[in-house]
Amino acid sequence: MNSTGLKDPNPVNSRQTQLFCLNDVYRIYGEEPVAVHALDGVSLDIHSGDFMAIIGPSGSGKSTLLGLLGCLDLPSRGSIKVSGTEVTELDDGARSRLRGDSIGFVFQQFHLIPHLTALGNVATALLYRDLTKSEINQRALQALDTVGLAERHDHRPVQLSGGEQQRVALARAIVTDPLMILADEPTGALDTKNAKMVMDIFKNLQGQNRAVVLVTHDLEIAEQMDRVVSMRDGKIIADDLRDERKQSLQDTFWESGSGSKLE
Amino acid sequence: MNWFREILNVAISGLTARKVRTLLIMLGPVLGAAGIVAAVGLNESAKGDVRQTLERLGTNLIVASADGSFSAGQAPTLPEDAVERAMYVSTVDRVAGITEIGSLIVLPSQGGKDFFRTIPIPVLTSDQTLLDVLDAKMLHGRFINGADENNIFRSAVIGQDLANDYQYLPGEVRTIDVDGETYGIVGVLENVDLVPKLDTAVIIPKSAAEEDFDVEQKPTTLYVRATEGNVDSTAEALPMAINLGGDEAVTVAVPSDLLEAQGAVDTTLRNILFLMGGLALLVGGVGIANVMSISVIQRSGEIGIRRALGHTKTTIALQFVLEALFVGVLGGIAGVVTGVCVIYLVSSILGWIATLNIPLFLVAGGMALIVSVIAGLYPAWKAARLEPLETLRLG
Repeated sequence: MNSTGLKDPNPVNSRQTQLFCLNDVYRIYGEEPVAVHALDGVSLDIHSGDFMAIIGPSGSGKSTLLGLLGCLDLPSRGSIKVSGTEVTELDDGARSRLRGDSIGFVFQQFHLIPHLTALGNVATALLYRDLTKSEINQRALQALDTVGLAERHDHRPVQLSGGEQQRVALARAIVTDPLMILADEPTGALDTKNAKMVMDIFKNLQGQNRAVVLVTHDLEIAEQMDRVVSMRDGKIIADDLRDERKQSLQDTFWESGSGSKLE
Repeated sequence: MNWFREILNVAISGLTARKVRTLLIMLGPVLGAAGIVAAVGLNESAKGDVRQTLERLGTNLIVASADGSFSAGQAPTLPEDAVERAMYVSTVDRVAGITEIGSLIVLPSQGGKDFFRTIPIPVLTSDQTLLDVLDAKMLHGRFINGADENNIFRSAVIGQDLANDYQYLPGEVRTIDVDGETYGIVGVLENVDLVPKLDTAVIIPKSAAEEDFDVEQKPTTLYVRATEGNVDSTAEALPMAINLGGDEAVTVAVPSDLLEAQGAVDTTLRNILFLMGGLALLVGGVGIANVMSISVIQRSGEIGIRRALGHTKTTIALQFVLEALFVGVLGGIAGVVTGVCVIYLVSSILGWIATLNIPLFLVAGGMALIVSVIAGLYPAWKAARLEPLETLRLG
């Protein structure tokens, strides 16, 4: 059993490094009596090697959890530790540096900087780290090579397809060699072919001693993950490994009997 | 050092990515700095020719005049040996005296006599050193010389303006009627900026004046050149040196003071123009703050992703401040250059001497810079405060 009271989803993880630890985290927006409890006592451990999806219907608290995992937000109550460092005790500068070092983000809308080339976008993640320009360019080019876009390094986002833009975003996420890739609906804006290509890259990133966490509505995507955390009403209601979770998924999305997309 | 270089590059790329908007933002400091430089510069250029004249003439000329009432048609006079007495002042370099003869009617010998009868023409005698003391030049012909004096010739030198009035042609043999006596014009004296009354005067030999008009050879005015840097002390010492306790009252004046006052830039006007330029700069600053604030909203996605990538609030704020700084530097330089161009253009059209005030360039450029940076502070603060969660629209 873990701190959520749920069964430990991955016994193997006990031998792996604990990267992120959320303990009894609350996120409350506004004040009583109109306060919104976006997260209600969530506890979650993420280990190196985790290949994990966070799923749940709209309003379940996924985005809030993503913000907290990404150190973009602070909890109203509770503790968040990244590699043993208590995030809630850090000032903005230290939290930003921790975020830059530990987390790679991938967003549904790519969020590439339009006036920069693919190389420039990836290199942006390496700024202010006391690296020389050639070191930055070399590492950025390497990351682009990992996602198969080294040859298009001098193209601007507008010159790239949606799938290519998302691969550039992926390169930007991995270029700092973070502890965790945090992806928000990474295939949401892509066609099937490009979505598959992006998921293949995510799978390749698995097992590189880092965690990959995807927030998604898409059951098909979730089914490809080793671990699925299901949320509803600001709580984690299931945290399952691949083999155990088919029934759990169906239970979670009771409304979505007709299709694989969970709304 | 890398850190600062990187943030500079980010700021520059932010500006170059949106060239039209950057140019529009830059218009504020450009117009403000150009306004200050041009307004003040044009005001100074308009006075430039007077000041150039001053530089040419020097400011060490002192005029010592007899002070008192006219008597028996003769202007008040100084002692006969006033020139020698003035030379006793150790800081006096050279002296020339003139004697004005009052109540004489001067007419051109031919044509327009009735018209010219109404215009008073000063008639005077002078020492032959007058040209040297005044640094004056002859336009044509020669000045009164020893031969004129010794032989009691009726020779006359006339001022340039009088020559123009009489339509005197260079080299023409002309005479002039001085109170019924005919004098031959031997030369035309070029205008003397420091002593404008000579421009319309008739100068005749002392001997002829004594013969024809029974004039006492007492000077009415002395022109004194003081040694460099001793103008004030010389002017102070002259009255006592000249009258030596006698009856003759002496007043001294430094004509360059008057000219200097004319040439001095009108401070009030300059301040008003400076303020107007400053106002333009201020309006430009508001424009910068406005456009950059909108820019922060438009670029919130970029700011959000930079924050997500680990850039701190400080680096985000600094990026925007540096963008404003670049706008200020480039706008200031462009403004000063524009202002200089305006000064040269207007001066060439109006025939002024373009005067460039280099310290003003620094002031105008500096003000453009300061206004731009201050204007950039609010957008920078706003950018730094943007919450990445809000701008990235997660989930």
